[in-house]
Amino acid sequence: MLLSVRDLVVRFRTHDGTVNAVNGVSFDLDEGETLGLVGESGCGKSVTNLAIMHLLPKPAGRIEGGQVLFEGVDLTTLSESDIRLIRGSEIAMIFQDPMTSLNPVLTIEEQLVETIRAHRKVSPADARTRAIELLGMVGIPEPASRLKSYPHQFSGGMRQRVMIAIGLALEPKLLIADEPTTALDVTIQAQMLELLQRLTNEQGTAVILITHDLGVVAGMTRRINVMYAGFVVEAATTVDLFAAPRHPYTVGLLHSIPRLDAAADEPLIPIEGVPPDLRVAPVGCAFAPRCAWRLARCWTETPPLSPLEPGTIVKTTGPEATHRIACWNPATAEEAVAGAPIRPGFVPAPAPDGKVDVVEEPGLPAVAVPAGPSHEDGA
Amino acid sequence: MTAMEQPVEQPLSVATPPVPEQVLEVTGLKVYFPITDGIVIERHVGDIKAVDGVSLTIERGTTLGLVGESGCGKSTLGRAILRLYQPTAGKIVFDGQDVTSLGGGALRAMRRRMQMIFQDPYASLNPRMTAGGIVGEPLDIHHIGTKTERRQRIEDLFQIVGLDPAFAERYPHEFSGGQRQRIGVARALAVNPDLIVADEPISALDVSIQAQIINLLERLQGQFNLTYLFIAHDLSVVRHISDRIAVMYLGRIVELASSKGLNTEPLHPYSVALLSAIPIPDPAIESKRRRIILRGDVPSPAAPPAGCRFNTRCWLKERLGNPARCTEEDPQLRELAPGHTVACHFAEEVAGSAEQRQVTGRPAPAAVPGSLPV
Repeated sequence: MLLSVRDLVVRFRTHDGTVNAVNGVSFDLDEGETLGLVGESGCGKSVTNLAIMHLLPKPAGRIEGGQVLFEGVDLTTLSESDIRLIRGSEIAMIFQDPMTSLNPVLTIEEQLVETIRAHRKVSPADARTRAIELLGMVGIPEPASRLKSYPHQFSGGMRQRVMIAIGLALEPKLLIADEPTTALDVTIQAQMLELLQRLTNEQGTAVILITHDLGVVAGMTRRINVMYAGFVVEAATTVDLFAAPRHPYTVGLLHSIPRLDAAADEPLIPIEGVPPDLRVAPVGCAFAPRCAWRLARCWTETPPLSPLEPGTIVKTTGPEATHRIACWNPATAEEAVAGAPIRPGFVPAPAPDGKVDVVEEPGLPAVAVPAGPSHEDGA
Repeated sequence: MTAMEQPVEQPLSVATPPVPEQVLEVTGLKVYFPITDGIVIERHVGDIKAVDGVSLTIERGTTLGLVGESGCGKSTLGRAILRLYQPTAGKIVFDGQDVTSLGGGALRAMRRRMQMIFQDPYASLNPRMTAGGIVGEPLDIHHIGTKTERRQRIEDLFQIVGLDPAFAERYPHEFSGGQRQRIGVARALAVNPDLIVADEPISALDVSIQAQIINLLERLQGQFNLTYLFIAHDLSVVRHISDRIAVMYLGRIVELASSKGLNTEPLHPYSVALLSAIPIPDPAIESKRRRIILRGDVPSPAAPPAGCRFNTRCWLKERLGNPARCTEEDPQLRELAPGHTVACHFAEEVAGSAEQRQVTGRPAPAAVPGSLPV
C-alpha cells in the first residue's frame, strides 16, 4: 500500500462560518495504480489532495481528523520541514493552470534545476543535463535552447509540458494531477493525456487524477471515487463504475453530459437543484435534496460507504476492488440506464420540516406564457 | 430551387427580398484587429486575422453550432454578427436586411432582434443591479411597454426560465452559477429576439448544471421559434443542440455540415482529429479508441501558414507524402455531399479512411490501420 487516507476531515474556518469541505474520506492506493477523483466544484476533491500535501490555505484550512499514511508514515503529523522532503520528490503535483503555477520571472532552466537540486545532491551541470533530458522527454523541441526561455514564451500546452517535466523530475512514487487539462484545448488535452499516461506507465508512478470530466477518467484511470459535498459516494473500478453505476448522483452525472457516441436526439436528464451549502453541517445524505430516489431515512441518516452486497469482504485497491456506494436506495441496473427511478408508484420522500427541497426549479409555468411585446410597437 | 438558380456573383438586391427562410446570411466576413507599434506615432504593422472570410447562413428556428479551439475566431465571428465588432469586410444580412453598416437608431432597432448570452454568468451581470432590473433593462433601453407591463413581463420571463419571480429583488451574488445563467437567458429573451448568439453559455457551469441550461435553451427554442448561433469548444455539446455545425480553424470555416453528417462522416482532417480528441465516458470504448494526436499548437492568426491553414498540423498531409498543393494553394469550401461542404484539397482521401472509421465507430477493416502520427 502506497497511500492510505483514513477518515480525513477538513474544515475551513471563515468569516461566514465553518465550511465542511471534506467529511470523512477514506481511500487506498497501491504502487503504480491510477485513481480518479471525480466530482463538481466544491465536492472536496482538490481539498483532499491539498490536505495530503500540507498545502491547505492557512490558517483557515485545518485537518480536523483522520490520517494520511504514505508508505506507513502519517503525513498529517509531519513538521513542515519533514513534509518538504516528501513533497516534490516522493509526491509531486500538477495543477490546472500552467501559467499561474510557473514562476513568471524565472527561466524554465532555473525552475527545473531548482527542483532537482532542492532534493538531490547533484552539480549544477548535472542538473542542467537532467533538465534538458526532461524537456526532451515531454516533447519540447530543441530542449537545450528552450531552457533559457521564460514561461510567457511558451504556449499553454507547452507550459503544461514543462509542469509535467517538473512534476516527474525526481521520479516521484505518486503524482497528483489536479484538473491537468481543464485549461487546455481538446487537441492539446489529447496530447497531454497521452504524454502523462506514457510517462507514468514507464516510471511506474501512481497517479491520482482529479477532474470533473468523466470522459477523461474513463480512459486514464483504473479506479474511480465519485465525490459529492465532501463525501465519497461511490467507489469502484473504472470498468464497474461505467458499466453499472449505482449511486443516483453518478447516474445523474452520466446522464447530464451529451456523449459523442450517443444518438444525437437522446435527451439529457439534468440533476435538478444545486450542490448544498457546505457551511451547514450535513445531516442525512448530502445528495438527498436533489435525489429522485430518496427515501425518508435519506433525510436523516448519513449512508456509509459500503459494498453493494452486504457482507462482502472489501478490497480497496487493485483490479478486483469492491464496488461500494454510500446510498440507502441505490439505482437498479435498469434505472441507471433510464436515468430515473422506474419502480411503479415510487415517489421521492418529501422534505421533512426544516429541510429545503430542490431549490432551483420551481416548476415550469403551467399556463402558456404570453409572448410579450411584439416588434411593431415602441422603439 | 430559387436558391439554385441564383448566380454566385449576383449582388444581393436591396429591393423586396422574398420572405427569407434564412434569418442570417453572412458572406465573406472578415474581422481584422490591427497590430500597432510605436508610442507617440502608432504605425500599423500587421493584422490579427481573427475572422478571415467566413460565409454561413442560418435558417429560422434552427441552431447552427460553431465549434473550434481557443483563438479560432468563433467568438469574434459571433460578436461581429451582432455588430459588437465592426467587420473589416464582408456582408451580414439579417432577416433580409443588410446590417453590415447600419448605425445609430437603425442599428439599435435591429439589435432588439438579435441578443446574446455570455459565457461567464459572474462577469456578465451587473453586481449592483437586482435580477429583475437586469432582466428588465433591455425593455427600458428599447422603450417597450409601460411600467406595469414591464413588471409583468419580468415576472413572466422569470417563470419562463424556471426562476421564482419572488427572486427579482435579489442581487446576482445571491444566485448560484446556474441560476445566474438563467438570468442571462431571461435578459436575452426580454425583447423577443429572433436570433440569439450564445457564446459558450455552459462552459463556466458545473457538469450537473450544464444539462439544466441545455434543456432550457432547447425548450425555449421550441416555445418561441428562436434561432441560435451556439458557440462552444465542446463538440459533444454542440452536436447535441445543433442542427448544423460549422468547424472553425484559424479564422476560417473548414467544414460545414449537418450535425449528423459531421459526426458520421467528418471530411476535414481537422474535424476528424477534433472528434477523436474528445474522450468518451466509457472505458470499454476508450480502451479501443486510438486518438489522432495533432502535433504542436495552433499557429498565430497574425501570420497564418501559406496554403491550407491546417497544413502545419495535418495528419493527412503527412500520410499523403506532403503534397505541395497543401502549402501552395488555399483550399476553398466545396460541396462533397448535399449540404456538406469542406475546405480540403484531399477530403476524398478522408472519406472511408481508417481514421474516419475509428472516430465514427464504424467497423474497421481486418487490417490494423497503419501509421497514425504520434
